[in-house]
Amino acid sequence: MKVVRGAGQFQLHLSQHEKILLLEVLKLYPRISSAHHRLSKSSNLPNLAADQRLLDEALAEQRAKNKQQLDELLANPQRFEETPKSLRLSLSRAEFEWLLQILNDIRVGSWIHLGSPEDLRPPLNEVNATHFWNMEMASYFEAQLLDAL
Amino acid sequence: MAETAAPEILPGTILEEGEKSKSGLEPGYLVVCWNDPVNFMQYVTHVFQTVFGWTRKKAEFHMLQVHERGKSVLARESLEKAEHYVHQLQKYSLHATMERDQ
Repeated sequence: MKVVRGAGQFQLHLSQHEKILLLEVLKLYPRISSAHHRLSKSSNLPNLAADQRLLDEALAEQRAKNKQQLDELLANPQRFEETPKSLRLSLSRAEFEWLLQILNDIRVGSWIHLGSPEDLRPPLNEVNATHFWNMEMASYFEAQLLDAL
Repeated sequence: MAETAAPEILPGTILEEGEKSKSGLEPGYLVVCWNDPVNFMQYVTHVFQTVFGWTRKKAEFHMLQVHERGKSVLARESLEKAEHYVHQLQKYSLHATMERDQ
């Protein structure tokens, strides 16, 4: 995949294989549950329980919105224009930012499913290998988006 | 970046138990980002720039603090603003919390 940064937009040039892999990995969203994040490590905040609930709701709402936007992208094959050498996905700056968030959720969520190991290359078995594969695929696309910033 | 508006207390309004008091508006809350091995350093820098509007240099300074010291205090804010920043950082899947400044 090659990412070209233009005026106010980004163009992702993908091979057919990369397009299929990107769409497959995006289908995993969301990987982090909305109850995963804690507002505070301490318990001395006023109204902690109520504020935690509000945070959970806000994150859940955000994820639902992201998922809807993602479903629209996945359902619209015309977003990928055919060029002689590749398939081109044009993204606005806001869409690019959004895609980065989505891919990072999949990467971090897969790592959480792996058991949040300190070593990002943990011993693999038939149970956790899928999570590792998902994390690596999200990393592949995310790293290339980051390089284009 | 949109900021959370301070709650408006109208004259004669009685502050009910459970509502945020004036102390909640004072800048006594720390926004902390904690290290994890999974987020790319480049991504963390980008998120700090996006959420706080920082320069790349300042964002990298805090990212390196997170990486090397295990955490970085990113801001000292009122309760509402600290909550807002924590939400923004968590939206990007960073490990962020708010803590009372002792």
